[in-house]
Amino acid sequence: MKKCAWFVFLLMAVSYAQNKQILYGFTEIPQSLLQNPGGKTHNDWYFGIPLLSHIHANGGSSGVTVYDLFAVDGKDFNTKLEEVVYRLRPTDFFTFNQQLEILSGGFAFGPSYDKNEYISFGLYQEVDAILYFPKDYAKLVYEGNQNNINRPFRLDHLNGTSELISVLHIGYNKVVNDKFTYGIRGKVYSSITNVNSVSNTGTFITVNGDNNAYDHIFDLDLSLKTSGLVNLTMDSDFEMKDITKQLLFGSNLGLGIDLGFSYNIDKHWYLDGSLLDFGFIRHRKHVENYELKGNYVFEGINPIFPEVGSGQTADEYWTAIEEEFSNLFTLDTTRTKYTTWRPIKLNSSLNYAFGKKVSKECDCTFDDSGYLNRVGIQLYAINRPKLPQVALTTYYYRRLLNGLSVKAAYTLDSYSFTNIGLGMSAQLGGVNFYIMADNFLNFKNIYNAQSLSLQLGINYIFTNDED
Amino acid sequence: MKKKTFNVLLLSVLLSAFTIACTKDIDFNQIDDFEVTPVIESSLIFLDEPANQFLEDGVEISSVQDSVLVEIFKDAFIKEHLVKAEFVFETTNSINRGIELRIDFLTDSNIQLHSFSFAVEASSTNTPTIFNYTEVFENNTLESLFETGKLLFTLNLKPGPVINENTPGSIKLKSKGIFFLNIDNTL
Repeated sequence: MKKCAWFVFLLMAVSYAQNKQILYGFTEIPQSLLQNPGGKTHNDWYFGIPLLSHIHANGGSSGVTVYDLFAVDGKDFNTKLEEVVYRLRPTDFFTFNQQLEILSGGFAFGPSYDKNEYISFGLYQEVDAILYFPKDYAKLVYEGNQNNINRPFRLDHLNGTSELISVLHIGYNKVVNDKFTYGIRGKVYSSITNVNSVSNTGTFITVNGDNNAYDHIFDLDLSLKTSGLVNLTMDSDFEMKDITKQLLFGSNLGLGIDLGFSYNIDKHWYLDGSLLDFGFIRHRKHVENYELKGNYVFEGINPIFPEVGSGQTADEYWTAIEEEFSNLFTLDTTRTKYTTWRPIKLNSSLNYAFGKKVSKECDCTFDDSGYLNRVGIQLYAINRPKLPQVALTTYYYRRLLNGLSVKAAYTLDSYSFTNIGLGMSAQLGGVNFYIMADNFLNFKNIYNAQSLSLQLGINYIFTNDED
Repeated sequence: MKKKTFNVLLLSVLLSAFTIACTKDIDFNQIDDFEVTPVIESSLIFLDEPANQFLEDGVEISSVQDSVLVEIFKDAFIKEHLVKAEFVFETTNSINRGIELRIDFLTDSNIQLHSFSFAVEASSTNTPTIFNYTEVFENNTLESLFETGKLLFTLNLKPGPVINENTPGSIKLKSKGIFFLNIDNTL
């Protein structure tokens, strides 16, 4: 049986990567400047409708879908779970990214005959999380160590990070000449909550022993760092305003920078690129870190002849071993300040514009607004704790009517080779509305999608076409 | 005209793509069926002693005893999820005396809950004699294990040639516990 529903609501309901392949280069939409501060802009000024100017949600899972596990297919749930546990690799991951623009705006300035500079600014909130599949932990829980004698369980498989931040930013964009535009954006990050466990090492292994059946070798070096959580969980006087306060004037601040450019190779071809979120956050307040560190080899106990000649009783000897264990597994809590790096992103694209509108001459030599069509190839990469994730997109863009443009994109990424995305931007009067989503091929059953992404927003844009 | 048709077509494809999405039946309640059955093996007790360890001031002691307090079996997680346990012993004897190991499972107040023993035969030629023994804990005996707070170990020498400083041979014991767990979504 199939159930169908209005797309937007459903997708929002299940919204659980960061790649905004459809928004990138979609120059009618002011928020495309956040994807490339050196992108092209066509408006004189704009402001985003507060809280509605950019709503973005993206969730993904590289190796498994909701449908894989929860389909009503008559198969035993545990059989399906087992299949998933054994199929997923430790580099498989689950991600979630969400952004909500609170305020945004921008304006062009410069000589009235050639406003070649543009300032854009705003405040947005972002959630970014990634968790790798802790394969060996899952295997240990699933099988135990019986079938894994001499096989190390790798503790570095536990790897994940999650942050809730707000970002206050201001960007500068300059059209240098007909060929070259660059831009830079400065960002102040305020971390509301951060949890990360990205530097775990060690192993647990059971090997055949000399004195006894087995030696159980524990080599643990695990840590979890948190900021902005203790005040939420420990402080009984917690109120919502504590969060709103941190949104702007939090004590865990950071700085970052975005860089970008566009370069017109000739009338048809152009190249652009950007580097986003090259920045850090210093976590100083409300920090609580946990550490589990130590080495121990357990070979059982020799209760009858303990420590010959030491006069130690069996129970004293056993108590000593118990203490070793409890020391090994006791969490050390610290309040050491720490620094996190934001996931840096790289975008670049090579584009070909063609098909001039016959009826209207375009007088602007710099931009491509005279062309109705564009095709291109985009490369996206994001730095993640284990490995960078890369996506390659090809797209087709078309201006359908004055003020109505669409873009279709085909993306190859960690999730799938069948990701088709669509986006549109419509402008009626000064009001600009845009919506875009990907993984359309999975819309016949969105539970079977490995990733979903949605962006939408409303802006008010003022363009003086006579410029 | 052609262009217009193209535009209309493109737009309608786009709009229809945005307006509907479908799902097939899924049932999140399947999580209720979650169950994993890991099997943990752990070393238990061991010993490796020459015959003359059974001497005290040059005189044979035919029985050695000691005890340890254990908390692990009373642990709530163990009680909830341990469904079966096996204690597996491998004894190698090259002393010319039979040796019996007895393990008593006691409550904190020394009330006996369970007991088992096994013996390895004397090795008259001092060649290693191997004896394997497995004690299985299920149902009632498993319940006894869950109450256990103290383990009493007793090693008895069976009658035979009296041991002195020069008695050859040694007694070795290796053991492991096999713990069968069943973890379901009551966790």
